[in-house]
Amino acid sequence: MSQTAMSETYDFLFKFLVIGNAGTGKSCLLHQFIEKKFKDDSNHTIGVEFGSKIVNVGGKYVKLQIWDTAGQERFRSVTRSYYRGAAGALLVYDITSRETYNALTNWLTDARMLASQNIVIILCGNKKDLDAEREVTFLEASRFAQENELMFLETSALTGENVEEAFVQCARKILNKIESGELDPERMGSDTEAVLTNGI
Amino acid sequence: MQKIKSLMTRQGLRSPQESVHDLSPIESFRIPSKEELREVCEEPTDPQAQQEIINSIEEVYFSNDSFDIVKYELERLPPVLNLQELEEYRDKLKQQQAAVSKKVADLILEKQPAYVQELERITSLQTGLQLAAVICTNGRRHLNIAKEGFTQTSLGLLANQRKRQLLIGLLKSLRTIKTLQRTDVRLSEMLEEEDYPGAIQLCLECQKAASTFKHYSCISELNSKLQDTLEQIEEQLDVALSKICKNFDISHYTKVQQAYRLLGKTQTAMDQLHMHFTQAIHNTVFQVVLGYVELCAGNTDTKFQKLQYKDLCTHITSDSYIPCLADLCKALWEVMLSYYRTMQWHDNHDQDEAAAVSSVADGSNVIGTEENSFDRSYVKKKLEHGLSRIWQDVQLKVKTYLLGTDLSNFKYDDFIFVLDVTSRLMQVGEEFCGSKSEVLQESIRKQSVNYFKTYHRTRLEELRMFLENETWELCPVKSSFSILQLHEFKFMEQSRSPSVSPSKQPASAISTTVTLFEQYCNGGNPFEIQADSKDDETEDVLASNGYESDEQEKSAYQEYDSDSDVPEELKRDYVDEQTGDAPVKSVSRETLRSRKRSDYNLNKVNAPILTNTTLNVIRLAGKYMQMMNILKPIAFDVIHFMSQLFDYYLYAVYTFFGRNDMYESTGLSSSRLRTTLNRIQESLIDLEVSADPAGTLTAAEERKEKVPSPHLSHLVVLTSGNSLYGLAERVVATESLVFLAEQFEFLQPHLDAVMPAAKKPFLQQFYSQTVSTASELRKPVYWIVAAKAIDYEQMLLLMANVKWDVKEIMSQHNIYVDALLKEFEEFNRRLNEVSKRVRIPLPVSNILWEHCIRLANRTLVEGYANVKKCSNEGRALMQLDFQQFLMKLEKLTDIRPIPDKEFVETYIKAYYLAENDMESWIKEHREYSTKQLTNLVNVCLGSHINKKARQKLLAAIDDIDRPKR
Ligand SMILES: Nc1nc2c(ncn2[C@@H]2O[C@H](COP(=O)(O)OP(=O)(O)O)[C@@H](O)[C@H]2O)c(=O)[nH]1
Ligand SMILES: [Mg+2]
Repeated sequence: MSQTAMSETYDFLFKFLVIGNAGTGKSCLLHQFIEKKFKDDSNHTIGVEFGSKIVNVGGKYVKLQIWDTAGQERFRSVTRSYYRGAAGALLVYDITSRETYNALTNWLTDARMLASQNIVIILCGNKKDLDAEREVTFLEASRFAQENELMFLETSALTGENVEEAFVQCARKILNKIESGELDPERMGSDTEAVLTNGI
Repeated sequence: MQKIKSLMTRQGLRSPQESVHDLSPIESFRIPSKEELREVCEEPTDPQAQQEIINSIEEVYFSNDSFDIVKYELERLPPVLNLQELEEYRDKLKQQQAAVSKKVADLILEKQPAYVQELERITSLQTGLQLAAVICTNGRRHLNIAKEGFTQTSLGLLANQRKRQLLIGLLKSLRTIKTLQRTDVRLSEMLEEEDYPGAIQLCLECQKAASTFKHYSCISELNSKLQDTLEQIEEQLDVALSKICKNFDISHYTKVQQAYRLLGKTQTAMDQLHMHFTQAIHNTVFQVVLGYVELCAGNTDTKFQKLQYKDLCTHITSDSYIPCLADLCKALWEVMLSYYRTMQWHDNHDQDEAAAVSSVADGSNVIGTEENSFDRSYVKKKLEHGLSRIWQDVQLKVKTYLLGTDLSNFKYDDFIFVLDVTSRLMQVGEEFCGSKSEVLQESIRKQSVNYFKTYHRTRLEELRMFLENETWELCPVKSSFSILQLHEFKFMEQSRSPSVSPSKQPASAISTTVTLFEQYCNGGNPFEIQADSKDDETEDVLASNGYESDEQEKSAYQEYDSDSDVPEELKRDYVDEQTGDAPVKSVSRETLRSRKRSDYNLNKVNAPILTNTTLNVIRLAGKYMQMMNILKPIAFDVIHFMSQLFDYYLYAVYTFFGRNDMYESTGLSSSRLRTTLNRIQESLIDLEVSADPAGTLTAAEERKEKVPSPHLSHLVVLTSGNSLYGLAERVVATESLVFLAEQFEFLQPHLDAVMPAAKKPFLQQFYSQTVSTASELRKPVYWIVAAKAIDYEQMLLLMANVKWDVKEIMSQHNIYVDALLKEFEEFNRRLNEVSKRVRIPLPVSNILWEHCIRLANRTLVEGYANVKKCSNEGRALMQLDFQQFLMKLEKLTDIRPIPDKEFVETYIKAYYLAENDMESWIKEHREYSTKQLTNLVNVCLGSHINKKARQKLLAAIDDIDRPKR
């Protein structure tokens, strides 16, 4: 979808996932993050789409390789294959739909199981702009986040509020983990496969 | 003569004119008396002698007055005086004198009457003069009387009256002059009101008036002041003229034109106007770009103002590039529109004027009209000529801007936007002066090729990533899925609308009726509506739209999509097409349609098999085609890059699923496919990098045109027999490639339409050598499955344990047949299992069955060729075994005839041939290996072939230069 230059330079490459029920605004979030505008003609995602962007996180250039997945169950088998090696994920629900909030546990299990136990996940309560139709309070969601060791932000792909922050905070947490030695940069991102190959 | 004179003077002055000596300074003239003259004449009168005497007079006597004759004569005297001589000499002199005197007297006498006559006239004149003197005296006396009669006062009165009259005239003049001087104020008022013609008219009138007063010294001052004012007006007029360039206003322009005409400077105005336009273009672009540069620099540093426009353009940041371009075009549009409207004004004006002239036609100001029409044609020419010059200026400015920034890192949509704007600008140029905008086109081409290279490079890298993450799961889409439903292909639906073939559609069909200039003549800007005018049609390619209902669909692929809504025709087409491609040429279509077909095709006949990555490639193809439509000049490059997407996908599928070291070089891939794969590998695949999975970026960049070979995702397991060695993934991969090829076929006419004629062979070659080979990949891919699915080795071992030299006819077949059949049953079961996950198209299951049976039959022959001893009864047993195998097999599969059935039967039966027949048989059946033939001959030895015959037959086998089957 977006494009990146060949001549780009960066210090780290993180693979990111955007997961959550269909219609929660995942594609819009990605679009907003990369294009800095709201994609109002958003179509349902088929399978998996891709976007990448280089962000500056505390002076380090990090290239985010982001896989935007289709939320529908039917695509689950297609999307699951993209989980592997993901360093971070945006777990998205729609604050105006309790149903999407209720599905979070399943998504979380999937992500931890298929990507890695160490995957850094930020919970995003999207469509913050539709406060009048809110079905999920900030408080209960942040409690859920705390219980599951997730970061949490309420976002709006429409206004752009907290969108960049969601990605950057997630990337920052990963960087911190790398610096503290908790995470091995060689064992994540696109290089994971090579490492794992050697392991097998 | 002197002598005569002095002689005359001595006669005394007795002139009668003495009384009037005060009236004139006339010298009195003495008239010699008659006596004197007579005396002279008494001398000898012989004229001859007289003349001689006169001639003998010495020359000196006729000389000047100052000459002293006495002294002369005395000095001439000889030193010794001789009286005689002296006297003689004296007489001689006397004689001479007498002769002269006589001569003189004669001459005088001759003139006497004339003299007297003249004298009388003098006398009468004198009388007249005296009379005049009297009249004068009287006159003076009368004058004196008159002078006394008039007073000094009355004369003074007259003088004053006259003076007064003069002063009244002066006052009038002064009043006019005063008004003249005050017009200055009015003039500047008029200028403020921008009433230039009025001001000039007034000024000219003033000048004219002033010239009638030019004898006043103050006027010269006024005159120069008026001249100054006029110049000032001209300057202001020039400024007013320059305003036209940015915002044409009819009434404003009309005034300015009138003003220039009054000045008689219509032509100058036109020249000036063109300069202003050129200047306006430069200033406009400079200001726009400067604005953005300064805005982005965030400081009020003046250093940018001093930059050249060209350098300034390189300071534009990529964020501001697009808004700045849009503004640049908007501003340039305004300038061009102004020019357009200027021309329009002149056209209308000319018509009006021509009409006016023809209606008046009284010839009163013929000269003026002539001059006007001369001006008009000058203006017309100048304006027409100016069109292309201005457009050239615009193009160059935009070119500088366009090329000032490297666009290769722009987002796709942004770059398309740049192209859109530029092509719109070219449309403007076309309408403006029929220009083909070569300058713009070239710069766009440059940027496009550059951009597209980078874009494509990134896309290929991305495609690799997609391929490496791909687990070859079916991406579920509706059975009615068509790529035209994808957002990326919306453009094709539009262009195909009215039944005309897409190739015939001109790109700029929209702009046929109303030109932009007509459309936006009275406001608005064609470069304004551009931003985000995207269509909001939705991409409804999904089976269902509500996501809530999805939970029930879990692992329910069979129920997932009923094809009841698909017309029967469509299904048949699908099958026919596939059969055409399928290698099982001999299998009849009727058989294919039999009942068992549904075994592997449960309810999903027409749901296309495609993967997430396939979709990605298709979407890219759509984007590339959009690019192509906009960028006709680089259409070839784009199509070339587009073909690489397909190449890479094909190469990946082959590398992942079709290449197997164990079974390589078995001739399974057609030579066409191998050629294609080699071509792709050479042109597109960077083999060096693929050896280094870390993928150092710089190294990759050096090999800009190539991509590393992709790796299969580790989630894909191809080694498990239960899943038929990844059959599901293989089917999805291979069939998705076939699907992709079909989509490319579908796109061919569109690609062909934009391909330049010279490059069409490339496209044809791509289709005939690459796209069409997609289905050929099935053979090597499924062959690998077939080779592993059945344990042929095990069967060989079992066959080796059978005794073939039996002496009686057996009624029971051997157990290896059961084992083999069991393998086939297991294969069939697994195939059914797999087909629950993935629809296995008929051609695929046919190929799988065909491969398995062929391999089994070949293994049987190989097993029979391993027999050491065989009897006639043993040979019959072989036939029995094979019949059993066939009978059971035919219940498992629809494939008819059973492939390689003849191969087995012929081999078994060859045993019964007599020596001679055997020899010709060997020569005719080259499909068997040397080993198989040799064995046949060897087992026959001892029954109906003797040793000698055996030698002969073996020689025949050796003789045959066998091409390996
Ligand atoms: N009001 C509002 N609507 C949003 C927002 N984000 C997405 N949407 C809408 O939600 C719908 C689904 O968005 P989409 O990105 O396709 O969801 P996805 O299926 O999770 O990718 C679309 O109609 C969007 O216009 C948001 O932040 N605010
Ligand atoms: Mg989506």
